[in-house]
Amino acid sequence: MNLVRIISIIIVIIWGIFSISPLYIVVISGFKELNDVFTVPPKLIPFIDFQPSLEAYYKVFYTEIGQTFITSLVIAIAATVITLPVVIFSAYGFSRFPRAAMNDPRSFFILLTLRMTPPFAVVLPILLYWSSLGLIDTYPALIWTYTVFSIPLGVWILKGFIDSIPGRLEDAARVDGYNFASTFIKFVLPLMASGLAATIALVWLFLWNEFLFALKIAGGNVVTYTVKLPQLRHAERIMWNVYGAMGTISIIPPMIIFLAFRRYITKLYLAR
Amino acid sequence: MASEKKTKTSLPIFLQLPATIIIWSLVGYVLPYLIYLSFNKNIPGKGLVFVGIENYYKFLIDPRVYGDLFRTIYYSGLGTIIEVILGMVIALAITNAIKNERIRYMVFLLFLIPMSFSEAIVANMWLLLVTPVGYINSFLKVLNLPTISWLGSDMALTTIIISDVWQWTSLPLLLIYAARSSISKEFYDMADLDKLSSWQTFRVVTWPHIKWAVAVSILLRFIFMNIYIDKIFILTYGGPGFATETLGFYIFLQAFQYGAYGYAAALSIITLLIVGILTYIFWKFMR
Repeated sequence: MNLVRIISIIIVIIWGIFSISPLYIVVISGFKELNDVFTVPPKLIPFIDFQPSLEAYYKVFYTEIGQTFITSLVIAIAATVITLPVVIFSAYGFSRFPRAAMNDPRSFFILLTLRMTPPFAVVLPILLYWSSLGLIDTYPALIWTYTVFSIPLGVWILKGFIDSIPGRLEDAARVDGYNFASTFIKFVLPLMASGLAATIALVWLFLWNEFLFALKIAGGNVVTYTVKLPQLRHAERIMWNVYGAMGTISIIPPMIIFLAFRRYITKLYLAR
Repeated sequence: MASEKKTKTSLPIFLQLPATIIIWSLVGYVLPYLIYLSFNKNIPGKGLVFVGIENYYKFLIDPRVYGDLFRTIYYSGLGTIIEVILGMVIALAITNAIKNERIRYMVFLLFLIPMSFSEAIVANMWLLLVTPVGYINSFLKVLNLPTISWLGSDMALTTIIISDVWQWTSLPLLLIYAARSSISKEFYDMADLDKLSSWQTFRVVTWPHIKWAVAVSILLRFIFMNIYIDKIFILTYGGPGFATETLGFYIFLQAFQYGAYGYAAALSIITLLIVGILTYIFWKFMR
C-alpha cells in the first residue's frame, strides 16, 4: 500500500458518496409524506426515521401529472420511429460513400452543427414557424421538431457503428450478384443490429429528457413531464415529495438504457 | 448495364434525401427567418418594422450583455476545468484504488449514472438539496453550522456549477478512463523497472495516452455547457437579479419575456456563429 493508492481509495470513496447521495435523497423523498420531506435533522432511513408512504405516487398517477409521462413517452417514441429509417440511410451513406455528393465530410459537418445548435437560439423562429402553420402546441409540431433535431444525433452515433463494420463483406456480396437492397438487408442490417439498438435507445433518451422545445413549442395542451415538473413549484404549498417521485420515475429509463448498453457507452458519446 | 451504372452514381444522394428533406423542412424556414428577424424590431401594435443593423449595434452597447458574457465564460470555463480535472483524477484513482477488474468496472459504471439524466431532471433533483429549507441546509443545522443561501445572489452561480459538476464529471471520467484502460500494462512494468516516481510515470506513460481524451472532454464540455440553459431556467430563472444570467438565458428572456424578437434573433445569430466555430474546431479535432 503506497501513498498514491491510499489517496486514490479516499478519492473514490468521497466521489462515490457525492455521486450517490443526491440520488438516494430523491428516491427516499418520493416515498415520504409531505411533512417528512424537509425536517431538522433530516429523515434519511426508511422505517426508522420515517414511515414510507405512497402518497406522492398516488398524486402522480391519479392526477394529470401521470398523463404527462404518457405524453413524453408517446412523443419520444413517435419521433424515434420516424427518425430511425432516415438515420439508417443517412448514416450508411456518410460511412460508405464519403466521396459522393451530399455524403462528403462537409455535409456531415453541416449535420453536426445542427447537433450542436443551442435550442435557446432557435426556439423562437421554430415557435413562429409552427404558429404560422397553426400547429403550435400540438403533437405533430413537437414530434416533427424532435425528429429534425434527433436525426443529427442518430446519424452521428450510428455512423460510428457502421464505420466499424468492414465494407469488404458488402463488396463480396455484390460480386456474388446481390443487389444493393438485398446486400443491405441480408448483410449490413444484422451486423449493425446492436449499434442500431444503442442508437434507438440514445435518441429516445435524448427526447424523453428534452425540456426547452417541450416548454415553448408545446406546454399548454401538450405537456411533457419535463415541463410539468418545474411547474409544481408555483403551487401554494410545494409538493416536494411529488418532486421526489417524479424524479425517481424519470431516472429509471436512463439507468436501464445505460446499463443495457454499457458496452457501447464510449461509442455513444464519441461516435468512434 | 446502363441502369446499374445509374444506381451506382445516384444511390448515395438518395440515401441522404429523406434526412435532408426532413431537416430542411424546418431549418429552411427557421434560419432565413432568424436572419430576417434580426434586422427587424417587434413594435407592439405595429408588428415587425425594418431597422437595419440596429439590433447588432445594440448588442455592442448593451451593458447587460457584457455582464452576461463574463458570467457565461466564467460558468462554462470554470465548470469545464473542474469537470475535466476531477474526471481525470477520478479515472486514474479508480485504476489505482481497485485492483479487481470486475469491481473496478462496476464502480466505473456507478460513477457514470449521473450523466444519463437530463439537465432538467438534474436541476429538479438538486432543488431538493439546495432549496432554503432543503437537505443540505438541514444537515448544516444539525452540525450547528450557519446555513447557506444556495440560491441567493452570492452562491447561485456556484450552486449551478456544482450541480453541473455532479452530473457531467462523468463524461471526462468516461473518456479518460477508456483511454487509460487501453494502455498496455507493460509500459507500467517498464516504468517500475526504471524506478520512476508516480509523477514521472504519469508524465511519461499515462499522459501521452490520455491527452487526446482530455482535449476532447474540454471541447465537448465547453460546447455543451453553453448549449443548455435548463439548469439556470429551473434552479434560478437567471436571478436573483442578474446573478445567474448567461448570454443564452438573456436571449431566452429577450424573446419570451420582453418580446424583443429582433434583438433576440440578432443575439442568436451571434451565438450560432460562435458555436459554429467551436463545432468546427471539435470536428477538425475528431478527424
